[in-house]
Amino acid sequence: MKISKEKFGQAFDALVAEYQIIAPVSDANGIAFKGVKSFSEVKQDYLNSKLPPKAFFFPQHEKLMSYKKEGKDVTVKSELKVENTVLFGIRPCDAKGMQLLDMVFKNDQYTDPYYFERRDKSVIIGVACNKIAPTCFCSSFGLSPAGSEGSDIFLIDLGDSYDVEVITEKGKAVAARFEALSELSADEQALVDKIKDAETSSKVDVSTTTSKLDKMFNNPYWDTLQEKCIGCNVCSFSCPTCHCFDISEEVRKNEGTRVRTWDACMAPLFTLHGSGHNPRDNKKTRWRQRMMHKFNYFVHNNGSMSCVGCGRCIKGCPVNMDIRQVIDGANKAELVVE
Amino acid sequence: MNKIINDIRETARQLLAEGKVDVVIGYEKGSLPLKATPCFVHSSEGVDSLIWDETCENNLATYVAKTPGKKAIVAKGCDSRALAVLLQENQIVRDDLYIIGVSCHGVIDQRKIGAEVGEILEASISDGKISVKGMEGDKEYLFTEVKDATCQTCRYPNPVMEDLHIGDTIEVSQEAAAFADVEALESKSDSERQEYFKEQMSKCIRCYACRNACPLCYCQECFVDCNSPRWLTGGVNRAENLLFQAGRVMHLAGRCVDCGACSRACPQGVDIRALNRKMTKDVYVMYNHESGISEEGKPALNEYSANDPEQFLVKE
Amino acid sequence: MGEIQVETENKKYEPKIAAFLCNWCSYAGADLAGVGRIQYPATIRTIRVPCSGRINPLYVLKAMANGADGVLVSGCHPGDCHYISGNYVARRKFALIKSLLNHVGLEEDRISFSWVSAAEGGRFAEVVKGVTERVSALGPNNGIFKVVDGGAADE
Ligand code: SF4
Ligand code: SF4
Ligand code: SF4
Ligand code: SF4
Ligand code: SF4
Repeated sequence: MKISKEKFGQAFDALVAEYQIIAPVSDANGIAFKGVKSFSEVKQDYLNSKLPPKAFFFPQHEKLMSYKKEGKDVTVKSELKVENTVLFGIRPCDAKGMQLLDMVFKNDQYTDPYYFERRDKSVIIGVACNKIAPTCFCSSFGLSPAGSEGSDIFLIDLGDSYDVEVITEKGKAVAARFEALSELSADEQALVDKIKDAETSSKVDVSTTTSKLDKMFNNPYWDTLQEKCIGCNVCSFSCPTCHCFDISEEVRKNEGTRVRTWDACMAPLFTLHGSGHNPRDNKKTRWRQRMMHKFNYFVHNNGSMSCVGCGRCIKGCPVNMDIRQVIDGANKAELVVE
Repeated sequence: MNKIINDIRETARQLLAEGKVDVVIGYEKGSLPLKATPCFVHSSEGVDSLIWDETCENNLATYVAKTPGKKAIVAKGCDSRALAVLLQENQIVRDDLYIIGVSCHGVIDQRKIGAEVGEILEASISDGKISVKGMEGDKEYLFTEVKDATCQTCRYPNPVMEDLHIGDTIEVSQEAAAFADVEALESKSDSERQEYFKEQMSKCIRCYACRNACPLCYCQECFVDCNSPRWLTGGVNRAENLLFQAGRVMHLAGRCVDCGACSRACPQGVDIRALNRKMTKDVYVMYNHESGISEEGKPALNEYSANDPEQFLVKE
Repeated sequence: MGEIQVETENKKYEPKIAAFLCNWCSYAGADLAGVGRIQYPATIRTIRVPCSGRINPLYVLKAMANGADGVLVSGCHPGDCHYISGNYVARRKFALIKSLLNHVGLEEDRISFSWVSAAEGGRFAEVVKGVTERVSALGPNNGIFKVVDGGAADE
């Protein structure tokens, strides 16, 4: 089924009354996901945002609670604020990335309320990638530029209209407002099929990576791999699946807040103990951690790799460390007896 | 292949084969168009990956202290200045270092190209021309049109110290340093400048790529990582970001060699240089000092003169 | 110390000014003003440091971030440093931090530097009065640096 962009825009604008709407816009710095009030603000022709949309569920800096002591009384207040949200224009890699984050923030013992209150109150409208950047390699992970996994509603841009696929119950509630849906013409169907069949031209073979990494903890591969890395946080902060955080107290006099901030395994401080000991005190062990976590530990723990091939870390890295080459290098590394 | 690249490779081959150094730090072709990437060559077999062109934008001096053993480094003007400051500050040992100097015509500002042609698919450089195939269209540039802002004002394209020079040297004007970029900002009102920096700082995601790319940010514990005292909260907002940048820029005042590595490393396009350049200008104007132009000398804030200007005092 | 309010247009508002004073000269100067019962506004919060050379530019930044409306830095006159050259070294840092802050749009009058000797109790009071007047005229720290509570949102 398809909906004209005009009708879609009307439905979108009507949603503003009930939802906070986040969509791609073009700003001084490229494409960013931001709050919008009307469909006319939305950038329709874009590759993907510079920073991943994970921040809407897992903000870079978030107050968890605040507290205050007055005399003997201590008051503690939750700082969680949640709005019904529509995230429009999420690319398939990022939609999948959110599913991977779900696995982190929920397990059989604990569900993170801060993440899930927001996650549960939001609807993901995914949009297929008509154009594929040279750094995109999602097809390596069994994903695709037109994959609907992780979206509640999935759209394919046909120029003047969108092909609409409603995927979940949450999606249904929003899609109920779409009017004047009609069948695709034969030409449009052909276009949809073409977009659905497309793959990223860049691909890495990850079929053996996990099992190879099982045997690589002490491999000399890590010695040379890390040399050029300057240990910034660009790759982690721009990754839709990186999720490590730090918790700290901001205290002043008799009141304070507990905050959660993104952290990253590439920073030495990440593993620094209070004693001064640092179990990962060099770039070698840090890069090994990054690779192992994404392509080995996460697979063992959650059954999936924690990279979706969005290519953001490749574009952002100041020294052009290319994760595709890193994976490839690990695949080809000579095994040493451990 | 051009003569410079050939000479770099031959030099590296010799140095490694003769065991004079353990590693050669240079550049190799990167995985993206118009990108070179730092490379560490440990044996003479690896030297053929070394390159030299207008994409060699990282400041390799960053790696010197952190790389063990004897090392050779391919250094352009600004890399050599950073090395000079590091020597002045006793951070590196001259005898462990072999400097392969190359004169630099400047590096390419990829961001500018990307903004015009979209994602860069293919690119080639020849004879001062850069042809780019982009997702939004193709374009041909003269190198001068897309030369990085830092390189446009560079006064030391030739290495200030080296063990070997490769290629020609570049003639430089003997005129006093010009700071048109700083003056343009200075001529604005307080509130206009405030708006400008508010906007810049709100882009920062505190990834610290700028700090880590900088050859002169080498503190064992940076003030941003220090939790006693805790200079910064974990907050990522423009006020905190400015506190970070202002602190960093102050630490680099009189030391920054204006290599632009920080600005180029920034994934968010924050105009960090606007802050550093202001300090560079002040230091130049007030103390007649340029950082890292020779092995001798001291950073500007390690010296003083009884006649230093005092305009900063309150008017009474 | 006297508790008087400065005469400004904005009578109610009393700014908070962080004053970094060197132990040997300016702190002693402030003390002398106190002993001599020379009145000056109670707007300053004094932080005693061993030497103006000990003043890290981050102190100035952090004071502004923590909500000070202004900062006063004061040490011995050049040539009179107890440690011989501390204030000469500090002088360059002071010039630069002042210039940098002005460059990012902080009003010039929020950050003040002055040399005050141990004998200049009267002058110390005058300096504080002057600084207080100028900061009062600017009103509360407008927030280019001010961090409210490490909050997440920008604005
Ligand atoms: S590791 Fe890189 S390519 Fe993979 S999901 Fe993260 S940012 Fe994207
Ligand atoms: S972005 Fe690049 S330099 Fe920075 S930590 Fe990641 S790999 Fe290292
Ligand atoms: S590199 Fe840019 S975004 Fe990262 S901390 Fe520095 S200024 Fe901020
Ligand atoms: S602050 Fe920036 S321009 Fe200055 S030396 Fe460091 S990286 Fe180079
Ligand atoms: S910002 Fe300052 S403290 Fe941090 S590394 Fe650079 S010079 Fe050191």
